[in-house]
Amino acid sequence: MQKNIKLILVINLLFLQLFSSCKDKTDITANNFDRKLMLQNYAQKLIKPAFLDLKTQTDILQTATQSFMATPNTANLSALQAAWVNAYSAFQHTNSYNFGVAGEQGLRKSLTEEIATFPVSNTKIDNAITLGNANFSDFNRDARGFLAIEYLIFDLNNDNNLIISNFTTQTNFQNRKNFLINAVTNLKTRIDEVNTTWNGANATFANEFIANDATDVGSSTSQLYNEFLRSFEALKNFKLGVPLGKRAGQTQTEAQRVEAYYSSKTLVMMQLHFKSIENIWYGKSKTEEDGIGFKEYLQSVEGGNALITSTETQLLAIKSALNAIPTSNSVAFQITNSPLLLENLHTEIQKNTRFFKSDMSSLLGIAITFSSGDGD
Amino acid sequence: MIVFKIIFGALMIIGTIRFMYFGWIEDHYIKPKFHFKYWGFEWIESLSSHYLYAIHYLMILAALGVMFAQKTLYKLAAIVLFLCFTYTELIDLTYYLNHYYFVSCVCFLLIFIQTPSPLGRAGVGLFGGNVPNWCILALKLQISFVYIYAGLAKINYDWLFNALPLKIWLPAHDKMPIIGTIFTWQITPYVFSWIGMLYDCTIVFFLINKKTRFFAYLTVIIFHVLTGLLFQIGVFPLVMIGATLIFFDWDFLNQTTPSPSLGRRGALFPSSLEGVRNEALSPSFLGGVRGGILIFFFLFQIIFPLRFLCYESNLFWSEEGYRFSWRVMLMEKAGTATFYVKNPVTGKEGIVDNAEFLNSHQEKQMAMQPDMILQFAHFLGNHYQKISKTPNLVHSVRVEAYITLNGKPSKLLIDPNINLMNEKDTFAPKKWILSYK
Repeated sequence: MQKNIKLILVINLLFLQLFSSCKDKTDITANNFDRKLMLQNYAQKLIKPAFLDLKTQTDILQTATQSFMATPNTANLSALQAAWVNAYSAFQHTNSYNFGVAGEQGLRKSLTEEIATFPVSNTKIDNAITLGNANFSDFNRDARGFLAIEYLIFDLNNDNNLIISNFTTQTNFQNRKNFLINAVTNLKTRIDEVNTTWNGANATFANEFIANDATDVGSSTSQLYNEFLRSFEALKNFKLGVPLGKRAGQTQTEAQRVEAYYSSKTLVMMQLHFKSIENIWYGKSKTEEDGIGFKEYLQSVEGGNALITSTETQLLAIKSALNAIPTSNSVAFQITNSPLLLENLHTEIQKNTRFFKSDMSSLLGIAITFSSGDGD
Repeated sequence: MIVFKIIFGALMIIGTIRFMYFGWIEDHYIKPKFHFKYWGFEWIESLSSHYLYAIHYLMILAALGVMFAQKTLYKLAAIVLFLCFTYTELIDLTYYLNHYYFVSCVCFLLIFIQTPSPLGRAGVGLFGGNVPNWCILALKLQISFVYIYAGLAKINYDWLFNALPLKIWLPAHDKMPIIGTIFTWQITPYVFSWIGMLYDCTIVFFLINKKTRFFAYLTVIIFHVLTGLLFQIGVFPLVMIGATLIFFDWDFLNQTTPSPSLGRRGALFPSSLEGVRNEALSPSFLGGVRGGILIFFFLFQIIFPLRFLCYESNLFWSEEGYRFSWRVMLMEKAGTATFYVKNPVTGKEGIVDNAEFLNSHQEKQMAMQPDMILQFAHFLGNHYQKISKTPNLVHSVRVEAYITLNGKPSKLLIDPNINLMNEKDTFAPKKWILSYK
């Protein structure tokens, strides 16, 4: 027992020492960041409006599809194309929210994978039309969703008459009509399902999301962070890296693998995608209302400000690289003919990866995997 | 001893069932396209799912054998348990955990431990019989190494005076019921750091001392329950709470049996050492071999964790001599590793998407450990060489690995211009690792 008492004395002395030495250090701020407020901001100002907007635009897309089906003329086709661009633009703001009903469940993949896989497979879509056996719940995610619809309603050379003839006089035009209408219905079903959990009359998910405010795996902070990171990586790897032929094993550029290839809206979509990532970083709504986000969370921890500075410097560099891409030619065209500026954009995005990927999760103590560890 | 075996066996069963229940056999061993090998054990391969499940079921049977079997059957069970468990650990370096290593060590010791010989007297039941003193001593020694080395490792500047990494980890638990708020206090990480260090360094001595044993054991329970709640460390807290029971006298369960060995009762080191000496000097040849193996085993246990002294580099940064040294919860480290593979003919350099080959846990572990980065680089070089149009020409692989240590801004770990295909993993200092400062 004597030893115990001695030990307790020693410990106490050490603590006194520490207390007194701590007072001198003014740079250590007490950590009283409230993740609930952050999650509340994300739910109310970013996620809910994003899904609501996506739902509204998809409804319009469906109506436009029905009008075009009833009367396949140039005006209706243009309206349909415009509706597609608006809906797919709205989707870019939901890119990072693949959790809850939008997450993976059993065989069903995340919302992004289910409705926005690209490049789509022309062969699969054409076959499904020829055979009239489209199935929107199988493994062929490259034969459904936004980009499959895009393939049907846009022509690479903007030949809208060709599109109209495909839906009116070409062989299997009825099958093609069925495929399009079913693809849009399927898209709407998936989006409605997710939107209901956030914005439905009896929706509870926003509250669950806010209440789940720990940092372990499965917590809202961890889920949002992981999806945010995945979305950032997708922008870099799939929207730029692969078409540019940057991936190991690729022997050349593959311009046709860009996002929104048939509508040539690649650059616009990339800009929106990047904007949505920036908004999550700042905790900023689509209407530029700046709330509590990951940035503010980082401000509350020691070393956070240094990371914020490096990250925001790099985000600016990405933005100017993005703005430097000419709008006169499609991204696919530029990849084949003058890829330098796009390669530069890829490099700038790559430079930011480490800040988002390891520095941020490390500083915030966010768990990434389920497996046990012994603290590295 | 019997108590220890029963508890240990039960924990092994729980651990194995937990592993299967979470689907970790698939996630860890079957799905990944690449496994990181242990140095010297590169020949160990993963098996198909059927065999792996068979091995896990066999492990449960073996654990039951260790709990209840006698004599030859017990030995067999202990050997099977050791081999099966160690095999599953050796499949992939990613999942290396100090407590798995501890379990392997204990399994190894259990092979040599004699089963209590039922003396055929009344009252000798489940708990009956005697075990030579050195058996208990060996296990105590093993546990002591774990604690003391873990404690010594905590005596470093960042841990004690900057309360790192606890300062990073603890605030993330501010939502824990009842005690959550204390993790937002500035002082808490310092208190926890010092208590952790003192606890690890001294607990063994308090457990040995009969007077303090009971209180020491209470702190064992509190300490491990708390760390279990705070950190994602699986069954480890249960293992230690169970294993430290070896320090208690269990004679009272066994009162009808005469207790011939004096040392056993006191269970203090000096008298126990006597036991080892007697055993080691025993005339029987088998005993001699066994003594030799055990002496070698413990010498290895003492020396191997100290190998870091031979390297000039920062231990936490380069991790040369980090594993198998009971270094737990010592640092917050994370990395982003981007690999560039160059085709020698076309001169085209491509970027690798690590997720194509690794699961997220593998990628996380690989990205911050130089030897794993090197292994993965070699795998990538060979893989892309094989699928290229010129499968006879060696590709070059370089890595841009940014590492953040204890929340400091990330820095390059490895010279990004070096072709890793020309480097080999040995115990020699790795020149291609950039220095920390």
